[in-house]
Amino acid sequence: MTTSIGFIFFIGAIGLGAIGIAGIVLANHLFRLVLALAIAEAGANLLLILAGYRWDAVAPIVSDPAVVQTMVDPVPQAMVLTAIVIGVGVQALALTLVIRIRQRYGTLDMQEARQRMQDDLDAAAGITPSRSRERPAGGRPLPAPAAAVEAGVQHD
Amino acid sequence: MTDVTLAIALPLLGAFLLPVTARRGLHWFGALLGPTVLALSALVLFGNASVYEAPYAIALGGFAPPLGISLYVDPLALLFALTVPLTTLLLWPGDDGDAGIRRQSLTLLLASALTGLALSGDLFNLYVFYELAAVASYGLAAGGGSSPGFVAAFRYLLISALGSVFGLMGIALIYFQTGTLNLAHLATLSEQLANPQGLAAFAMLVIGFGVKAELFPVNGWVPEVYGAASKRVAALLAGLASKLAVLAIVRILLLVFPHEEARQLLLVLGILGVITGELAAYQARDITRMLGWSSVGQLGVVFIAFSLPGKAGLIAGVTVAMHHLVVKSALFLLADRWGGAIARLKGAASSSRPGAAMFVLFSLSLLGLPPLPGFWSKFLVLGGLADAGSTLQLAAMAIILAGTVLEGAYLMRVITTLYKPVDAKAMPQRQHPGNLFASAMFAAVLLCSAVMVNPLWQGLNAMAESGVDTKGYIETVFDGKEIPR
Repeated sequence: MTTSIGFIFFIGAIGLGAIGIAGIVLANHLFRLVLALAIAEAGANLLLILAGYRWDAVAPIVSDPAVVQTMVDPVPQAMVLTAIVIGVGVQALALTLVIRIRQRYGTLDMQEARQRMQDDLDAAAGITPSRSRERPAGGRPLPAPAAAVEAGVQHD
Repeated sequence: MTDVTLAIALPLLGAFLLPVTARRGLHWFGALLGPTVLALSALVLFGNASVYEAPYAIALGGFAPPLGISLYVDPLALLFALTVPLTTLLLWPGDDGDAGIRRQSLTLLLASALTGLALSGDLFNLYVFYELAAVASYGLAAGGGSSPGFVAAFRYLLISALGSVFGLMGIALIYFQTGTLNLAHLATLSEQLANPQGLAAFAMLVIGFGVKAELFPVNGWVPEVYGAASKRVAALLAGLASKLAVLAIVRILLLVFPHEEARQLLLVLGILGVITGELAAYQARDITRMLGWSSVGQLGVVFIAFSLPGKAGLIAGVTVAMHHLVVKSALFLLADRWGGAIARLKGAASSSRPGAAMFVLFSLSLLGLPPLPGFWSKFLVLGGLADAGSTLQLAAMAIILAGTVLEGAYLMRVITTLYKPVDAKAMPQRQHPGNLFASAMFAAVLLCSAVMVNPLWQGLNAMAESGVDTKGYIETVFDGKEIPR
């Protein structure tokens, strides 16, 4: 019984990590990126807790020295406490950066913010804008949008 | 012998005192505080030079390892720890109002965390110091207050925090299998980690600590952050912070994972770093991004060097890392005023002769011209690779040489532009005297080490001797006490 519960927790920890990492890779909304980060951190913390957990033990607090009980390993719990505090701080900092980006660029879209950043950096350095998906190399015109081609619109 | 914990505690204290004193109108105190604290911290570390004879360990708070957290001081740790206050002093940010105070305070925080990273002997403690350094560097990256700076800092934060999640999972995996996180204790149990789970844990830790070390898959933040932040911050991150992150990985590699597969992993990631970094640097059209990508390539060489087994690998790695620290910090300082497009630098040499001369000196050393230290560092790596001689290592040799050719191409492009006749329309900016002075100090270090090859070689040898001495590490930390299995 306990092993199956432990197994579920393990799957949960790894699943949370996977969801978070997938979110960071796939999401494009700044706030969702921060949320994905929070989920991934929760997964890592749960994994660390499980590393020292015993199902037949009590919390590692000595209330009566005369009573000897089996306790869970306190070390990972102390570490997770540290990791949670660090995580909260980093997430708060990430949110303030999101607010700043929204104030400056008026967007919460990662792709767009990144493009504007590249343009600003290029302008500051005094070079023509870098290549990107929207601006391919060699100055070729982009293929016309499919809808425009179908409607027979001339594209210059 | 002075207490080495002061080298970590003093800058930390300074970092929190600085904003308070500045607000109370004690400006002279604030201006003096940072440099004084850093100088004291360097003095404390100099006072520990006797570790060359006997490394020692400190059990923090009197809790004996493996339960308590230990600091370990040996020549390797001392060398890297000593570079922190010295480099930070040379790259000390100027005092320009409120933003300046914040930047100084974050710089002190970074210095404290990096010193801790060098001295720590406990895996979780390494993680905490690494996070502290990371948070300070997010602040520094965004600290310029420019719009691109915020986006760059946010992306840096995401990549770095994702790396931390990986690192934490790696720590959890190690704790699963061994039930300890003390590096010395882990070193006695390293056979238990010679399995796929152990290797997975190592890979996760490498990804985690590798973000700051500009390791191959997690270095997308490099050109953006260096481009958007002030060049002193770029010099701090590329020159100093990356080296301390490398040291953390090397410590874990030497003590906990002395397995062939772990070395192989570092070698492959290093090779990929050299290829991508040098190619991207060749493509770059402005100096800042060129230097940023080239530092990715150089750190690839550092990882290749540390992947060599035994003393030879440690000597080669430390040489390349230290050389890169000096040269890249100085080049970023020079790029402060010359950071724009390469074409804009036409005739810059006539506006600032010493600046251009130093740029040439550092570039040549980076390439590896014989009397300069850069030659010795590359020579040691290539020699070590040739001695080891597996197919992958010979391929790494070829790739380092090809990378050097690319390096030559893009650095020479800048140098020839510097010495072109001046364009009347666009005068390049003069170098700032402060930056010139700081990079002259770096140049002095470079030239001194070119002259004193022999004593340096002996010092490095002694350092590597104790660095690879895992048994000595275990005995020093446990100090004759029984080692729990």
